[in-house]
Amino acid sequence: MHRLPPVSSMPYRRILTGVSMALAFLLPASLHAADAREIARTVCAACHGVDGNSTEPANPKLAGMDQEYLMRQLKAFAEGKRRDDTMSAIIASLDSGDFAKLATYYGSQKPTPGTVRDPQLAAKGRALFEDGNTDSGVPACAGCHQSDGKGNARFPRLAGQHQAYVLKQLADYKSGRRATDPLMTTVGKRLSTDEARALAEYIAGL
Amino acid sequence: MLSRHLLGFLLAALGGSLALAGTPPEPWNAPYAEKTAALSLKGDIARGAAAFEICQGCHRAGALGRADGSYPRLAGQHANVLVKQMADVRSGRRSNLKMLPFADHQALSVQDIADIAAYLQSLPVPPTQGQGPGTDLARGRQLYERDCQVCHGKQGEGKADQFFPRISGQHYAYLLREGSLIRDGKRHNAHPDMVLAIGKYSDEDTAAVSDYISRLPVGSR
Repeated sequence: MHRLPPVSSMPYRRILTGVSMALAFLLPASLHAADAREIARTVCAACHGVDGNSTEPANPKLAGMDQEYLMRQLKAFAEGKRRDDTMSAIIASLDSGDFAKLATYYGSQKPTPGTVRDPQLAAKGRALFEDGNTDSGVPACAGCHQSDGKGNARFPRLAGQHQAYVLKQLADYKSGRRATDPLMTTVGKRLSTDEARALAEYIAGL
Repeated sequence: MLSRHLLGFLLAALGGSLALAGTPPEPWNAPYAEKTAALSLKGDIARGAAAFEICQGCHRAGALGRADGSYPRLAGQHANVLVKQMADVRSGRRSNLKMLPFADHQALSVQDIADIAAYLQSLPVPPTQGQGPGTDLARGRQLYERDCQVCHGKQGEGKADQFFPRISGQHYAYLLREGSLIRDGKRHNAHPDMVLAIGKYSDEDTAAVSDYISRLPVGSR
């Protein structure tokens, strides 16, 4: 076996410098993540779960959602454009400087699938999701939220979301209580109650 | 917030209709600020593809529309024709309540309009459009050659420089619906010469010429 050069020699120094530089880059990011997880655990988890997969149907799953979308919603709650008795109270306790890392944290969690309870209803929902309703002018949801319901940077993920939460949002768009997107206000107004139920059932299974 | 928007919109609509009622109708395709602005912007195809996502829930992927005529095919249409139609819809010159929320100022910027138009013009036009029953094509051809061809072209390719739309590749049911609306004076941004040309058409004439158009070859622009 070859004798190793002494620690003070150039190759080691180069390696050590390289490692410490890499650590310098890595550290802030991992601190951020730990920080976000800590906020999530102490502030958000009771409703949304530590991993963003809420088990309470009224509370949205956040896991896997686009980070820009999550940021927009946090801001909307902070500015009062979106209201919810619990969330509006909690948002006031958060530092808006933490919104971005929370959005990053929850957006990068792995979403769990939802549960379809009524496959026939889901089949009706699928037709509406894929084709819309040409009589009432409801566009196909897939046009914006994509066929797999996973959304993109402009339009949020719907796939696997709780039925109760989706229904509440559609009702809130319809009533104007949620006014974060004029197009969804239009969609909420054009959907019948039965159509909304069918869509929520289909979305849960995506 | 919403009710303030709604009130503003209603007042604007009311003001607009009062103004229109008190003055003679503006000439077809008269310039107005927003249309002129949108026509002057260079459209970007890639940005247009992204902006078109809010349209494709109805007009479908690739802007192929629907054979039942509920939503027209937009693929391959002349960009300036598309700009005019989008601007006309959101300014109320073309009444389309289904589309209005998806074309209004909250949904689309002027640049979006230019981008979407550029994207749509670039799209291919497959020969998959809905066609009519094919039972009266001789009459359809005769009417087309007499009344339509001079503006819309022998192959239904339209005339971009004059804002005359391409009509080849369009769904029969949509041609029939819009043709009937124009004939009856219910599409307010129609060219007056077209209203005159088809004003005396029977329902059978309108159907026959729509059927003929729906069978024009789609290869040419």
